[in-house]
Amino acid sequence: MIDPITREIVQSGLSAAADEMANTVYRTAYSTIVRDCLDYSTSLCDARGEMIAQGVTIPFHLGSVPFAMEALLAKFDEDMYPGDLFILNDPFDGGMHIPDIFIVKPIFWEGTRMAFAVCTAHHLDLGGRLPGSSACDNVEIFQDGFRIPWLKLYERGQPNEAIFTLLRANVRVPEMTMGDLRSQISACHIGERAIFNLIRRYGADSLKALTTDLIDYTERLVRAEIGEWPDGTATFVDYMDSDGVDVNPVKLQATITIEGDSLTADFTGSAPQVRGALNNTLSFTASVVYLCVRAAMKTEVPNTAGMFKPITVIAPEGTVVNGAMPAASSMRGVTGFRLTDTVFGALAQLLPDRILAAGEGGNTLVIIGGERPDRSHYVFYELLSGTWGARPDRDGNDGLCNPANVASNIPIEEAESNYPIRIERYGLLQDSGGPGKFRGGLAIHREWTLLEGDAHLAIRSDRRDHLPYGLFGGKPATGSLNRLKRPEGIETLPVMISSTIHANETLYHRQPGGGGFGDPLERVPQRVAIDVRNEKVSRTAAREEYGVVFQGDSFEVDVATTEELRQNLALQRSPTGRKRPG
Amino acid sequence: MSIRFNPGTLRIGADVGGTFTDVVVIDEHGKLARRKIPSTPPDFETAVLDAIENLLSATNQDDYLVTAVAHGTTVGTNAVLEHRGARTALITTAGFRDVLELRRIRAPQLYDLFFNKPDPLVPRYLRLEIEERVSAAGDRITTPKQAELAAIVERLRSEHVESVAVCLLHSYAYPEHEQTVGRFLREQLPNVPVSISCEVLRERREYERTATTVVNAYVRPVMEGYLANLRHGMRKQGISAPLLIMQSAGGLTPEEDARLRPVYVLESGPAAGVLAASCLAKQSGIDNVITFDMGGTTAKASLIENGKWNYSPEYEVGASLSAGNRLVGGGGELIRAPTIDIAEVGAGGGSLAFLDPAGGLHVGPQSAGAVPGPVCYGCGGTQATLTDANVVLGFIRSGKLADGQVVIDEGAAHKVIHDQIAAPLGLRVEEAAEGIHRIANARTMRALRAVSTERGRDPREFVLLAFGGSGPVHAAGLAGELQSPTVLVPPLPGLFSALGLLYSGIEHHAARSCRLVGKNVTVAAVNTVLHELRLEMLQQFSEEGLGAEAVNLHAAADLRFRGQTSEIRIDFSADEINPQTMGQLKTDFENEHERLYGHRSDPDNPMEIVTIRLIGRASDSKNRPALSSVDSSVGSVGDRDAWFGEQQGRLHTPLVCRRDLLQQTEGPLLIDEYDTTIVVPPNVRVHCDEHGSIVMNFGGTT
Repeated sequence: MIDPITREIVQSGLSAAADEMANTVYRTAYSTIVRDCLDYSTSLCDARGEMIAQGVTIPFHLGSVPFAMEALLAKFDEDMYPGDLFILNDPFDGGMHIPDIFIVKPIFWEGTRMAFAVCTAHHLDLGGRLPGSSACDNVEIFQDGFRIPWLKLYERGQPNEAIFTLLRANVRVPEMTMGDLRSQISACHIGERAIFNLIRRYGADSLKALTTDLIDYTERLVRAEIGEWPDGTATFVDYMDSDGVDVNPVKLQATITIEGDSLTADFTGSAPQVRGALNNTLSFTASVVYLCVRAAMKTEVPNTAGMFKPITVIAPEGTVVNGAMPAASSMRGVTGFRLTDTVFGALAQLLPDRILAAGEGGNTLVIIGGERPDRSHYVFYELLSGTWGARPDRDGNDGLCNPANVASNIPIEEAESNYPIRIERYGLLQDSGGPGKFRGGLAIHREWTLLEGDAHLAIRSDRRDHLPYGLFGGKPATGSLNRLKRPEGIETLPVMISSTIHANETLYHRQPGGGGFGDPLERVPQRVAIDVRNEKVSRTAAREEYGVVFQGDSFEVDVATTEELRQNLALQRSPTGRKRPG
Repeated sequence: MSIRFNPGTLRIGADVGGTFTDVVVIDEHGKLARRKIPSTPPDFETAVLDAIENLLSATNQDDYLVTAVAHGTTVGTNAVLEHRGARTALITTAGFRDVLELRRIRAPQLYDLFFNKPDPLVPRYLRLEIEERVSAAGDRITTPKQAELAAIVERLRSEHVESVAVCLLHSYAYPEHEQTVGRFLREQLPNVPVSISCEVLRERREYERTATTVVNAYVRPVMEGYLANLRHGMRKQGISAPLLIMQSAGGLTPEEDARLRPVYVLESGPAAGVLAASCLAKQSGIDNVITFDMGGTTAKASLIENGKWNYSPEYEVGASLSAGNRLVGGGGELIRAPTIDIAEVGAGGGSLAFLDPAGGLHVGPQSAGAVPGPVCYGCGGTQATLTDANVVLGFIRSGKLADGQVVIDEGAAHKVIHDQIAAPLGLRVEEAAEGIHRIANARTMRALRAVSTERGRDPREFVLLAFGGSGPVHAAGLAGELQSPTVLVPPLPGLFSALGLLYSGIEHHAARSCRLVGKNVTVAAVNTVLHELRLEMLQQFSEEGLGAEAVNLHAAADLRFRGQTSEIRIDFSADEINPQTMGQLKTDFENEHERLYGHRSDPDNPMEIVTIRLIGRASDSKNRPALSSVDSSVGSVGDRDAWFGEQQGRLHTPLVCRRDLLQQTEGPLLIDEYDTTIVVPPNVRVHCDEHGSIVMNFGGTT
């Protein structure tokens, strides 16, 4: 029996080590995806590959480690030596999608394998059909980019130069890829140093016992909480607007069952795998479930393998939630976001006071890649994110990254200083949040002008036709929009597209807003007044959606007229209103 | 407690915190008096004036001359935290008024669906746009129109705005539009302070610059009012000495500057502590120090290496408790201003101890705060805290602390630790208390590691300098974990920041974004920027009556390898640079990069200079009295039972004063201070050095 005091101290030490690894990547990485989108993760595993700590990084990577480690150990368990360092990005060998490179360092102490340090990072470009190695209309993995199954990047301390040479030859911006790889390797060294310190402090055998206990303890915490949730089953269906190639709705279905202290997420009923690059690996689908359950929990739990044990994920192979060879997957992030909405939609029925209405549905990617006048390549990777759905007791956040990731926005002055781009506007859009007793967050819009030459343009967005849902009487938000201003006129673009943009053309993107929660007619009129004053809600919407009327041009609520209008609206709406999710 | 000072000159140091106001007075011979009283929000000056009055009352006013009042204050921070600043408007480039509210989009906590973004300090309806645009290359695409400016002024008047911030795109490099707008507003609205971003922060990145300028505008009227009241009160006490304010980056600045650019003094309290530490280290001949300041809600650590501290380029007000990790911000108001790099975790005397559903024991980051405070304070606290545990362990004495400002009820501490922690875990009450103490240490280690091992520094080469109300209680245990060989506890550990104020001089900071890369990194280019900064800075000093001969200049550059997105700050000589010093700068950068991250870059990947900085320090001609051996211990005698872990058990531990420790002796010992206790565990060798500091030695038996 481990005492709770030592456990807390060791857990604190391990998570500090994983965070230190994360800090190392953050400070030394070259790509803006790492710095501004924090699209990477750092973990420590025990000798069996079971996760014992994860740094504060992207939630979408939460469940990736067990799958990757299982594949690594299947291949190399008996062929692993001090000084070895492994590399992977192949989604069909335990990876997640081509841009994510895993670096794993086995940690040996006096000749015995004690642990693993793991660092996964999204690389800006790993070759493939289009700049950024990500295009929704890639139709097979080979178009996504350079594929690396589990290999030894270092063998007993010696670099395998063949891999470096091949990699350099197959990517568009080699110095960036190499710089980011170096920072991942540094992070693993930092992780190793931290494990050595813990072994010196507690001894190898004790540390092993302590980490095993930590995993069990995590499992107990998760089971204790799920055990308090009501037993039951709920199903929710949501859609993506496009299969990556054409506008063609893709069905996602989640059935969540809570039984005692366990939870099952069954995605049977989801669409077959799609033509475009939107297919999840099982590991990514599982990550979504883990992050949704974690977000629904009230208890703080350590990031260890114990988190996964009470949860079962069923995702039939050959579907969009578990693609089979040669499914393309580079843009499957959008599937992960939509799947998050789907799982939350099901959980909301079982835990109505803990889940939020749909948000913007994940970040929009806009990739502009071309040549500068000096013929050097650039890849401008823009990530637009996000806004929140309304919560059971409060509004959605206006302009905050989706809870499934930790992205930041790209500074306008940095973008304009480094790329031939001018950003014409960036802000919140009036009346775009779903009305409700609690209002959904407002949509964000942004506009880019290309200043010179021609460039590839890739857009990944969604939720133009299938809007972010509201909950318990809250209304959906407005959808997304892509428009290209060309000399010959304004063209509306599909949600996902690979195309070309020319100098002096302007791309406008509007993200979806967040859904509302509860009946808009129950919203406190004073809150509507504040929104109107801040031009977040128009006077027209205040009247028509919320039934709130003001005295003349002021922001003083006309109480009597408002009450009367609300009664009338309630009558008008009663036959159709109050739709519950599902 | 009043001391009668001898006739002569006095300096006053006043540190105003959210809970307590600490004032120290020192005469030219090093004689010192102290006073700790509760702060008096929102009229913070009341406590300062009362404390000064109290300290000087015993002395005849004709006998002394106060030569300087050095001040650290959280008045600005509190205004931001409590959203009690001025009614502020923001003028932005058309299309970008939401930059402030959108922030960097980031949430400080993962998996928290109920997180609320802080409300912007300027509501959306007071964020006004103006049609104007400058490109990144400096082309003036659209210039501001007079008619639109006039309309904006009208709007500001009708909305009764009390302060204005202006931040236009690319003004860090091309400030002309912003200056035009600023000039017009200042002419038209002479009674409204106008903060324009190129005067507050000339650095690229629109959100950081906007947010910093807005905080400046937001606290300006508050700070002006506060300083005016303080000045007025001091005049009535017959004090007309200069009022100097501690800056977040260390160093004092005249009151007038703090009124114009208050955003640079927001973190003055913590900065004063580090400054005091660096001063004491210098006096004691120690080069390398890790400072450890533990108070009621947080523990703070910083690194002093070869007498110099590190700077952090930005921080967030109000986010400290969630900053277990420094990657994910978004919980507070971002400020990009040079600040002493201080790592902070939510672990202090008031940190709550609690059990989770699976029987795990946790401490903090939630805190009982000043109100209701720990259970043993008897002010309504009901949840076990770290201080309660330290009382159970015998580390903190029962009865009166700090002239009776706090009275400790030992029985209440025992009861709450027993009922809430020990009984459910099936532990003895001492074991539970020890567990809480050790878990708090583990949390605190994160801050200590963040400034040492995570920066490639070996803590075994550093002295741990502990202060704050809880610092001396925890220092010995932490030194063991860190393997620091030595712990130093200065005189007056609970009022150490106030003491630090007495030992600081005037200091100014200037910075310029320049982005030099590849063949543009030339000696001439760096010298051009340095020259510009130097002229600007000497001008400022001369306006304060200090000539160039009285100012020491230091330069630093923020460097990275081309393609990276984070910089490392490297110091270099502020003299005209030459090819040799330029080469040195590059070598220093590469070495530091390797030290921090374990690798260099590709040999052919060039270094990039992102920002050049200049720091000017007024050399203080007037010698400050040395910290003569002040015996700040309260003179407790006899012994007290204290628990030093299961193996040692409960020991009768002698109580001693600092003056009893002139000869080295061995723990266990307890040294009761004005508002805290220094804990010396068994087998640790301890003595009091000639500067009045307690020195604990660990490790080897000699």
